[in-house]
Amino acid sequence: MDGLFAAFSPRLARELNVETAGTGSELEVSTHMKQLAGKNKVLKYFLGAGAYDHYIPAAVDSIISRSEFYTAYTPYQAEVSQGTLQAIYEFQTYICLLTGMDAANASMYDGASALAESAFLAASHTERKEILIANEFNPDYLGTLKTYCDAHELKIVNGIDNIGANTACVILQNPDFFGEVETLRQFVEKAHASGALFIVCIGDPTSLAILGSPGEQGADVVVGDGQAFGCPMSFGGPHFGFMAVKNEFVKKIPGRLAGITVDSKGRRGFVLTLQAREQHIRRERASSNICSNMALCALAATAYLSLLGKTGLRNVALSSYRMAHLLQTKLAENGFSLANKKPFYNEFLVECPAGKNQTEINKKLLEKGIAGGYAVGGNKLLLCCTEKITEKDIDEFVKIVVG
Amino acid sequence: MARDACGTLGELKLIFEHEGTNTNYVPMDMALNDRLPSPFNRKNLPLPDVSEVDVVRHFTLLSQRNYSVDTVFYPLGSCTMKYNPKINESASRLEGFAAIHPLQPAETCQGALQLMYELERDLCEITGMDAVTLQPAAGAHGELTALMIARAHFHGKRKKIILPDSAHGTNPASAAICGFEVVNIPSNEKGCVDLPALEKAMDETVAVFMLTNPNTVGIMEENMPEIVRIVHGKGGLIYCDGANMNAMLGITRPGDQGFDLMHLNLHKTFSTPHGGGGPGSGPVCVKAHLEKYLPLPRVVKKGDEYSLDYSKPDSIGRVRSFHANFGVLVKAYAYIKALGPGLKKVAEAAVLNANYMLASLRGSYPVPHDRLCAHEFVLSGDARASEGVHTTDIAKRLLDYGYHAPTIYFPLIVHEALMIEPTETEGKETLDGFIAVMRKIAGEPAELVKGAPYTTPVGRLDGVAAARKPNLRWNREA
Repeated sequence: MDGLFAAFSPRLARELNVETAGTGSELEVSTHMKQLAGKNKVLKYFLGAGAYDHYIPAAVDSIISRSEFYTAYTPYQAEVSQGTLQAIYEFQTYICLLTGMDAANASMYDGASALAESAFLAASHTERKEILIANEFNPDYLGTLKTYCDAHELKIVNGIDNIGANTACVILQNPDFFGEVETLRQFVEKAHASGALFIVCIGDPTSLAILGSPGEQGADVVVGDGQAFGCPMSFGGPHFGFMAVKNEFVKKIPGRLAGITVDSKGRRGFVLTLQAREQHIRRERASSNICSNMALCALAATAYLSLLGKTGLRNVALSSYRMAHLLQTKLAENGFSLANKKPFYNEFLVECPAGKNQTEINKKLLEKGIAGGYAVGGNKLLLCCTEKITEKDIDEFVKIVVG
Repeated sequence: MARDACGTLGELKLIFEHEGTNTNYVPMDMALNDRLPSPFNRKNLPLPDVSEVDVVRHFTLLSQRNYSVDTVFYPLGSCTMKYNPKINESASRLEGFAAIHPLQPAETCQGALQLMYELERDLCEITGMDAVTLQPAAGAHGELTALMIARAHFHGKRKKIILPDSAHGTNPASAAICGFEVVNIPSNEKGCVDLPALEKAMDETVAVFMLTNPNTVGIMEENMPEIVRIVHGKGGLIYCDGANMNAMLGITRPGDQGFDLMHLNLHKTFSTPHGGGGPGSGPVCVKAHLEKYLPLPRVVKKGDEYSLDYSKPDSIGRVRSFHANFGVLVKAYAYIKALGPGLKKVAEAAVLNANYMLASLRGSYPVPHDRLCAHEFVLSGDARASEGVHTTDIAKRLLDYGYHAPTIYFPLIVHEALMIEPTETEGKETLDGFIAVMRKIAGEPAELVKGAPYTTPVGRLDGVAAARKPNLRWNREA
């Protein structure tokens, strides 16, 4: 054996100092993993802020647990990857139908990195250097955008009033980080009048079931995070991002695209296409460096959307909306005033009454197994409801925070 | 053309071509419809309603149209398609991992933080590096993160990246995103770094030399000490693309070879499945002098308590939402906890398998860089070019015999490349079966090979037609 490793230098002269679980048997590994998982507490979540505890139909996990899906690689050999490729094509279609856009890619890492890549697309298309953030953004998204823009020498500008001849794009989070829903028209008009692209970023895409589609309202690019579509929160990942564009930007879209073609007998088949955009062909001139994406999470979303259908997805959105508004009403009756000025979907911001500290409130909730709100300056809490929250949960929540 | 719903032959319906009834997954509350304010006025939601049984059949039939590690030998070079132990899957689905929110209080997620902390420590030991971030979502994301770190280290003043011409495509693409100018240097006749070319290209404007080790022709870089001397001599950093870490586990460490920073692909080396193209995970490992630049948050341990630290002023910031592809980390961690120091046997078996296969195929296919290989090797498929048989044809013919094809046409420095990585998880029976088929294909009539595949759900697909008139989504009217 040693001869095989003659070129491996310098040789590690000792064993790796890496502990096994017991002797490394499957039983011991399993026990160890359960012990670790047992140190985490699954709570009742009134916490959103970028990860959403929506119900996942049992069939989703059953579908993505098919090992023909999860132990396959990227579908480079199309003839033996028709399952993955057709599923990607269906995913792309679902994203287009929901966003009202012309084309979508096979997925991105998450909402935050999809946002950053959309800013690059706009900068490249317009040959401009300023990225305009139009409203209240998820701080993780903003942080990621800033890191990417620093590296790419793009400048982030805040507020629609600062639009100008250097603005590559106007980006609106909708609903915004505090749950507020904007009317898109005014932003579209201002962006296009300045020659900038208009980009909409979506944190919880179940909102699209009841909100007007951004594509119909003039968005050039729509990005977002798809975790809400059938992916467990999983302590922050893997989730997935998506990007959808109008036709004129298809050749600038990052990442993989599945398309329809025919086989040698004229039958319909699917392949990865327009690969001249991608890193393995175009190298330093590629539209992005993305290679692996979030295929299995996108498959979970495709299964989720197929299972729920328009009726089910609408119900998820309506229930989430209804529960959030019920909670807000009951909190308002008890001195927690709504801090939002515009309509909200399933997240909203409340100001805690004088004498009630946000940290203390969250602590009391946690004692009862409830994850409370995301703390915001000025003694405010960002609260979230999904369809998993019941009226009884809301009554309990209100009782704890009022008591 | 009629759609074949059973899907074993020909076409399978799209989900949008089904119609059915809806299943109640959540309580119905349609009464709310009329009371919503104006932004919530969506009229057109054109998703199909399909019954659960039809959805499940649809995706099950789709899955059967895939080759996967669990169904066939998958010797896809550079991708390390090893078997993924099932215990890792079930661990990642434990409720205490899968159902927790990334922003819940640290005292309620100590197990998750401990797992991340210990995984970072193990990856440091395995790579010989000093600190790790688990944040990047994939290998290319790790590369990008590493180059952002390099950019911060040089305060944006050094503008160049040097790459060998054998590099993965993600290397130059990541460099370009970071605003670096890419300088390509040729490889020598052995497939290794051409030292005079490196010496000539290296100066004080170069931030990073990016190198894959073992390199993409499947051999360990010789002259690492010289490479390190040249790059460090001009104040540059050396980056290891860790896609091929599987060959080195427990045998040699990039940190000891002189690399300053690197990424790992947990979905390659550490056995987390590829999922049809992700999710992956691309941790970045650095030497101590670069730790301060790592993305936030960092997992820290004080006493017996784990927490997240957001307060590092020199950090490049975040490269994604939340902390990491945690579910992927759980699988890699479980894999490491099963093997421990036995990870060395992984590398030994991977290298042994690759050399056995190389020795067995040497007589049937040209080997442009013929020497002892690491965990993979590269053949050329150009021996029968005069008959019109190309690497693509050999790859497609392999599909007929129930094997996934090797990586083809990469690395670019090998004409008609066939890059084969058997991995350590395959036994001799599987290797011999593949070797026999490769030899057989080498002798099959040209016309037969050029028409392959014959046994797959669809025949050879027309990629040119797909790109000429892109159809990227279903439309009702189409």
